[in-house]
Amino acid sequence: MAERVKNGMGGALAALDFDAELMLRVKEGDGASFGVLLEKHRSSVVHFLYRMIQNHAVAEELAQEVFLRVYRSRSTYEPTAKFTTWLFRIATHLALNALRDGKNERSQERLDDDSSDMPARQVSDRRPSVEQSMVYQAKLDEIRRAIAALPEKQRAAVLMHKYEEMEYSQIAKVLACSESAVKSLLFRAYETLRARLAHMA
Amino acid sequence: MNCPLETPENAQVLLDYGTRKLDAQRTAILERHMEICPSCREFGAQQRALWEALDSWEAAPVGRDFDRRLYQRIEQEVSFWDMLVRPFRPLMVRRGLPVAAAACLLVMAGVLIQQPVSSPIPKKDVAQVESVQPEQVEQALDAMEMLNEFSRHVRTDGQESKL
Repeated sequence: MAERVKNGMGGALAALDFDAELMLRVKEGDGASFGVLLEKHRSSVVHFLYRMIQNHAVAEELAQEVFLRVYRSRSTYEPTAKFTTWLFRIATHLALNALRDGKNERSQERLDDDSSDMPARQVSDRRPSVEQSMVYQAKLDEIRRAIAALPEKQRAAVLMHKYEEMEYSQIAKVLACSESAVKSLLFRAYETLRARLAHMA
Repeated sequence: MNCPLETPENAQVLLDYGTRKLDAQRTAILERHMEICPSCREFGAQQRALWEALDSWEAAPVGRDFDRRLYQRIEQEVSFWDMLVRPFRPLMVRRGLPVAAAACLLVMAGVLIQQPVSSPIPKKDVAQVESVQPEQVEQALDAMEMLNEFSRHVRTDGQESKL
């Protein structure tokens, strides 16, 4: 199996992609390997989609669709790229479509409320005061607004770079553009964010 | 070192510095440059501040029933496919599907051969009907009259011979 992955992707880096190996096992009918992939990437996919769409329920629904598509594609899967590149390409595609379809109509409204669609944060250890909580919430809302105001591609690039810690080359593959285009997208996006959130420094 | 802010291709160095992704050697070079370049110093500080601000946006935990709902959807898809294929399964199991398909084809071919093709009358035929001349109609009527006359004679001859 590992040899197949190595041959299919051509190189030592490809051989290290254990996820692709797991996906090939899923292709051969190993349902448990799909469970491992789900366990490993569930949070990052949901979080990425949540930050893109800014609506928890829609983000989870889209994340379900991502994993459903992965499962459906198992029989035709070929490890031509890193598994996470493929996974985030599906997620980004769905998120951009959802944003264009206006599925997140309520999300902008939600920015004004107290984020009631999100599960409660686990802050019991530190027990912040009401004032601290309000300051934190105000700060969070500003960040969410600033990210939401970015053009879709810049937003996706920032979220993959900042929160998923992806390399420029991988983001480029997900967004189907050149590496220099990604650097340019990120530079402009961070410039906008710095300007909008300068007072928070 | 050229100022990264003045050379767009080097601007990535400042981003990487701000996101703490720059290797030690390049960090040292950039920091030496920052000592004499207030613009880059400010840029680096702002990028680091932004990075820390973005860190505070923690995503909510994934719903507890996420996996259950996903597997339920997978199960439903499998069940739907199963339901579609079920009526044909005995045929597939007995490897009789090709035979059944061939039999169906034969029956359909037979039905098609039995039924005359009810295609619309081509315009050419219509034109032919329209081009029948009055003389031809007269001739046909004469022929029919002659045949009637002939059959009347045959009947009268027969009755006379019986008598």
